[in-house]
Amino acid sequence: MTWKTASAGFAVLVVVAFVAVFPVVSSWDPNDVEFDLALQLPSVAHPLGTDQFGRDLATRVAVGGRTTLLIAGAALASILALGFLWGTTAALAGGVADSLLMRIVDGLLALPRLLIAIIVLVALKLNASTVPAIVFALAVAGWMLTARLVRGHMLSLTTREFVKASRAVGAGWSQIVRRHLLPNSTGILLVALLLELPTVVLGEAFLSVLGLGPPPPIATWGNIAYDGWTSHRMWELTVATLAITVFAVSANVLADGVADQLDPRRRRS
Amino acid sequence: MSLAAYIARRALWTIPLVLGVMLVTFLLMRGAGGDPFRPPEGYIGVPESYARILRDHYHLEDPWFVEFAYWVKNVFTLRFGPSLVQRNLEVADVVRHGLPVTLQLVLLAAAWAVPAGVAMGLWAGTNRGRPADLAATSIASVLLVVPVFFVVFALREYLVVDWRLLPSGWDTWRARALPVLALGLAPAGYVARIVRTAVVETMQEDYVRTAFAKGLRRPRVVWVHVLRNSLAPLLSAAIPMIALLITGAFFVENAFSVPGVSNFFIEAVRTRDYPVIMNLTAALAVVVLIANLAADVLLAVADPRIREGMKR
Repeated sequence: MTWKTASAGFAVLVVVAFVAVFPVVSSWDPNDVEFDLALQLPSVAHPLGTDQFGRDLATRVAVGGRTTLLIAGAALASILALGFLWGTTAALAGGVADSLLMRIVDGLLALPRLLIAIIVLVALKLNASTVPAIVFALAVAGWMLTARLVRGHMLSLTTREFVKASRAVGAGWSQIVRRHLLPNSTGILLVALLLELPTVVLGEAFLSVLGLGPPPPIATWGNIAYDGWTSHRMWELTVATLAITVFAVSANVLADGVADQLDPRRRRS
Repeated sequence: MSLAAYIARRALWTIPLVLGVMLVTFLLMRGAGGDPFRPPEGYIGVPESYARILRDHYHLEDPWFVEFAYWVKNVFTLRFGPSLVQRNLEVADVVRHGLPVTLQLVLLAAAWAVPAGVAMGLWAGTNRGRPADLAATSIASVLLVVPVFFVVFALREYLVVDWRLLPSGWDTWRARALPVLALGLAPAGYVARIVRTAVVETMQEDYVRTAFAKGLRRPRVVWVHVLRNSLAPLLSAAIPMIALLITGAFFVENAFSVPGVSNFFIEAVRTRDYPVIMNLTAALAVVVLIANLAADVLLAVADPRIREGMKR
């Protein structure tokens, strides 16, 4: 493991620790409106200042991080599940079904994710976006690369001796998937997870900044950025952007490192 | 495969893709259930007389495949139809006035971002390991990872609002400079990183060593041998780059009050204006898929290996 990967992993841990611990030790409620305290700069009482409603920004960033990471986690779980099922089905089915399934993936990959996510949100016909709706939209917009990765991996796995041996002794495909293919895919799924982590965090931010995020007063990193955007406060937008970017970039670097670790051939560059 | 055959094949593949996207959008909007004239609580409905006009135009009384067929026909004859929410708004007007603006914005941004990115990547890749490489690579990474909404907001707040250096809007070339600059930053960084990786690999090829060995000057080797052989990875970069541009356009148009289609699209999403959403989605999808097509064709012209492999 290089120092780069290690420090990226450390940064991810720091963000997660801050998000987990800070709301507990903070003496402020993230949603308490107090206009007397509005628009303050950082101080001892408010380490990151306050927003236009007098809410403590540090607490909101931490609580918002929880919501954002919750959305990201749920979306990632759906992306991995859907991508795994789709990719495995395509690889095992082969032939026409395989190329049809992968053409659908190609077609969806050609469209911007944000556009897909917005269309899905609209199709859900909600008065306001909810957290599950955002999760669903991000998952529908984001599973295709994972499906492609999994399919490629499965195509190489199914030519291996242990899979052939299982088939020869009469194991059914569902058993082979459960006993052999899934356990042998943890590596590729981990890579997919870390690869998609920044994109779902950013996806939440993009939707929220366009005003399509969870309704106020729910704090998310994207919603804090949106508050900064609408109230013309550079400071607030900067804080939210930093949280998003530091987390996304560290996750990305970590993904590269883990991929190198899993595949020694990649390590040289 | 000849170039013409490749282009024809690639173009034909775009047609089912466009129809597929339209069908999915259509089914999503329709399959969501409910009556378009009884919107969810909190949204204002449509008077009966106007509802009749809408029903007639969109053939809402017919079976779904008839409705879909009419919609496809209307989109391709540019008779997009009326809005559900804004009574005097024709979607055709939005498309006619907004789409050229969005296209111009995106194309102008790409027009500076791609050459700038290629130059930066080439510079970094040929100076691998030197300070120039570190500088160019760092700049490219920063351009790529800083979210577009932050860049756009910072540029607007300081240059347009506070210091009044540039106007907002889209009327003059002065006003256009900032949106075009802002939109191209992330794609430039993206292209730079792709090209750098490719250049680093090409520099290690035997034919490059041979070119140096037979006494060719460095500029000739770089421009003729290295650059042209390093552009192939842009094929896989075209789709993410178009996505970056379209995604960025949403924020750029919003921040600088550019009268493009994205602003109308977001407004339609907020007011649940289904006809506007559907038609603008179709228009944007057509633009994106044609852009993909154009990128593939350009690269097939530049690199014969692509049309031979027909890689997808």
